[in-house]
Amino acid sequence: MIQNFLKVAWRNLIKNRTFSIINITGLAAGLACFILIALYVIDELSYDRFNEKADRIFRINADIRFGGADLKLATTSDPMGPTLKKDYPQVEEFVRFYTASGSKQVKKGDQYIVEADVMHADSTLFNVFTLPALHGDTRTALNEPNTVVITASTAKKYFATTDAVGKIIEADGTPYKVTAVIRDIPRNSHFKADFIFSMDNVHYDWGSYLSHNLQTYLLLKPGTDWKEFQKNFRQFIDKYVVAQARQFMDISNLDEFERAGNKLEYSLMPLTDIHLHSDRLSEMGVNGNIQYVYVFSAVALIVLLIACVNFMNLSTARSANRAREVGIRKVLGTARDSLIKQFLVESIVTSFIASIIAVGIAILLLPYFNSLANKDLTVGGLLDMRILPFLVLLPVIVGVMAGSYPALYLSSFKPIAVLKGKLSTGAKKSTVRNALVVFQFATCIFLVIGTIVVYNQLRYIQSKKLGFNKDQVLIIDDVGELGNNAAAFKNEILKLSGVSSGTLSPFLPVPSWRNDNTMSREPVLDPKSGMNMQTWTVDADYAQTLGLELVQGRFFSKDFPTDSAAVVINETTAAWVGSGNVIGKKIYNFESQDNTPIPLTIIGVVKNFHYESLKQQIGPLMMRLGKVTGMASFKVNTSNIQSLVKEVEKKWTAMAPGRPFRYRFMDESFNNMYNNEQRVGKIAFTFAVLAIIIACLGLFGLATYMAEQRTKEIGIRKVLGASVQGIVQLLSIDFLKLVAISFVFAAPAAWYFMKRWLQDFAYRINISWWVFAVAGVLAIVIALVTVSYQAIKAALANPVQSLRTE
Amino acid sequence: MLELKHISKWYNVGGKPTFILKDINLSIQPGEFVSIMGPSGSGKSTLLHIMGMLDDASEGEYYFMEQAVHTLKEKQRSHLYKQHIGFVFQAYHLIDELTVYENIETPLIYQNIKSSERKALVADILDRFNIVGKKDLFPTQLSGGQQQLVGIARALIAKPQLLLADEPTGNLNSKQGEEIMELFKQLNDDGVTIVQVTHSEKNAAYGSRIINLLDGRIEQ
Repeated sequence: MIQNFLKVAWRNLIKNRTFSIINITGLAAGLACFILIALYVIDELSYDRFNEKADRIFRINADIRFGGADLKLATTSDPMGPTLKKDYPQVEEFVRFYTASGSKQVKKGDQYIVEADVMHADSTLFNVFTLPALHGDTRTALNEPNTVVITASTAKKYFATTDAVGKIIEADGTPYKVTAVIRDIPRNSHFKADFIFSMDNVHYDWGSYLSHNLQTYLLLKPGTDWKEFQKNFRQFIDKYVVAQARQFMDISNLDEFERAGNKLEYSLMPLTDIHLHSDRLSEMGVNGNIQYVYVFSAVALIVLLIACVNFMNLSTARSANRAREVGIRKVLGTARDSLIKQFLVESIVTSFIASIIAVGIAILLLPYFNSLANKDLTVGGLLDMRILPFLVLLPVIVGVMAGSYPALYLSSFKPIAVLKGKLSTGAKKSTVRNALVVFQFATCIFLVIGTIVVYNQLRYIQSKKLGFNKDQVLIIDDVGELGNNAAAFKNEILKLSGVSSGTLSPFLPVPSWRNDNTMSREPVLDPKSGMNMQTWTVDADYAQTLGLELVQGRFFSKDFPTDSAAVVINETTAAWVGSGNVIGKKIYNFESQDNTPIPLTIIGVVKNFHYESLKQQIGPLMMRLGKVTGMASFKVNTSNIQSLVKEVEKKWTAMAPGRPFRYRFMDESFNNMYNNEQRVGKIAFTFAVLAIIIACLGLFGLATYMAEQRTKEIGIRKVLGASVQGIVQLLSIDFLKLVAISFVFAAPAAWYFMKRWLQDFAYRINISWWVFAVAGVLAIVIALVTVSYQAIKAALANPVQSLRTE
Repeated sequence: MLELKHISKWYNVGGKPTFILKDINLSIQPGEFVSIMGPSGSGKSTLLHIMGMLDDASEGEYYFMEQAVHTLKEKQRSHLYKQHIGFVFQAYHLIDELTVYENIETPLIYQNIKSSERKALVADILDRFNIVGKKDLFPTQLSGGQQQLVGIARALIAKPQLLLADEPTGNLNSKQGEEIMELFKQLNDDGVTIVQVTHSEKNAAYGSRIINLLDGRIEQ
């Protein structure tokens, strides 16, 4: 029986080549896209699960609001971990990471290599996370100062062997002894580290409950309810944090702090949630986003569904061709369920062929997909034991999904009606088929609208007036290496032709250093007059180099020696200080040893500039004059940037021999802040195109069949005097109606979802009506072009041919 | 009414021309009722299609109401037959998706006649053919004779001077066939020129002239 099924299935595929090719191509494209996205989603969901104790590991997050500015931190204070372990028996272990000191320069031979993936960690690291050692003993590895644990590939890079235990590594001028070599940390870990240094080497003002600079993870005892455990944090705050704050602040407890509109909240985040659900300050790396996982998954399913819909539509549309066979088989005594099985075998054979092609396409497209999704997925991922069985089952699932409706439909024919030729042909209007076409086109229109909105927002970001000039600014990193020579370096560069100004400051309106500080409007610090704000140290040329605009007063100047006690603030801070002219007013900070207020005089107000991404409102900012020389920025004005960079490098090498020269351009850095959004744009675009192509493939097939089925009607109409144009219209109008209905469904849905996507941006575009108009017209034009080829062909046919014999 | 001069029609089969019609000379006067007879494959239908401008002759000249059809462009030709010729088919060729009323109305739509006028014309002819009660039915709900009646009504709706009928009674029983032929005779008496293709001697006898075709030639 099954042999007969397969034979008939194969012959049908061969006989109806056009339809088979349309079906298989569509399904293969849908399946390839599905496979790629499945790989991506599985990878995203696998983050940090390699840790054996993953379900018991939690990170402490801090949410702080002091004077209006909201801080969402992935870090907490340094004593919090040890204190919690001491006070609460539920805490089995804690581990802290310290990464605030940034990258390190590691010596290899007589060269220095900038290593970005470095951190300091407590020796308890290996009790919490699963990081198996190749050499050495991780239980004791970080117990002493000047020890470091490195990964296998780092060991190979520096010592050409993995067995590097006992060797010495010099990092930032300090020698460290390698005490263990661990396996490379899996790619799907939320933190990356090639070097793990001892916590004892961190120069830090230990013991403050008020500075939040360390990532802290707790390992809870088995059976502990972590949601319940979080409730202890209020008690902890009153007992330790408020107690310490009282030394310089007029505060009695947390409630009072909160009544003044402030907030201090700690919470636990399960380790496995970090990668997809956390986007806080001081994350260990760039995390993923659960929304993208949802979007990707939805897109994969939708594209696959569109391909399945093609299959259903073409199969049922062609039903008349199969009707005779069904009739004869029934007369010969075949039961209906046997016919259903036969049609299912056919669809499974089709989807099986499509699956084989799909795997090929997926392998070919993997590099492109990797760059699209910013992943390093490999074909090997397909052979994963969790995916492989699914991959084998996929053709069956898809075959049944796509084939069950046609099977039920085709097998329901009455044999007598069929054999007498009374069966109405597949061209008859079918509600189900129309609904399926509407679904396809609604999806396409939705994706088109989405793509346009994403690209509009990206263009808006590019062209938005930022309050500073990001063009033609060359940034040199690691200028701190030059020590006291930084100013001399700046002067040397300024002498080059094509450089118009320069500034020494590591605080830039692109990813760079940040420093926040609590200021007060009054000489005392209390919850009402305090405000947490960015405090940047700059030099006198800062405003000129970045093109900042002054709205009140003046910027710092070398001609005013008193400027060391002065501040320049932005408009947000100015509004907090008072309305109108704020020049000459004072604000206070409390950084002195004895917590006495230090007054600072406001000498200027700069126009608000976007120093964070456009996702955020512009927060309060103040600038002070000083020498913090981490980076140097130069406004350049030359057509030959490359040769200028070479000259700058020459100066650098002369002044800092052996130190790597690192530079970037401010506009590049700026664009990199929106990599995620650019990726969403590309993804939406790619899948919109894919969905449209698959849907058009189906529409083309359907139109072909409709035209074929209506040959007789077209012939009659032509004999009655219909023009070619009239016939084309007749054949196209039905499809266009469907596209119009699709638009009615798609437009509001797209409007709603894109509105929500835009909520991420504090500064965003409005979705204007023309976006919908463009998407609608595009869909109609594409549908028209697809259908009209067949329609024109049918309309031009000679009616005598179609009416000749009946 | 129309005149065919040296009309030939052939297809190339395997490089050799196979003649369907060969050197046909024929002229039909207004008011005539002509029956074309002949065995299957003698070229009757092709001749009718050429008269109706649905098909081109391979050779020869065709004058319809003093106009040289063989020199006209597709558009002008279509305009010409839309106005002056009605067709009736053996298999009725009604559009299944349209009701009786809509089927009859269709030619008028293609002649850009106003909706109110169309209504009046269709109502007229429904009345004349006694099928008012059937106007909202679909073709599949009618008997063969009724379907052909609708087909004729549709052919006549635009008031053509020439009616071309290809075995109009071929699918009907004898009683229905007789009724249709009676109708044709009456139409002819009202001044419509009719050319019909038929197998039946009896039906052919309704006409005023019989032309016999054999292997693409007119038998004298």
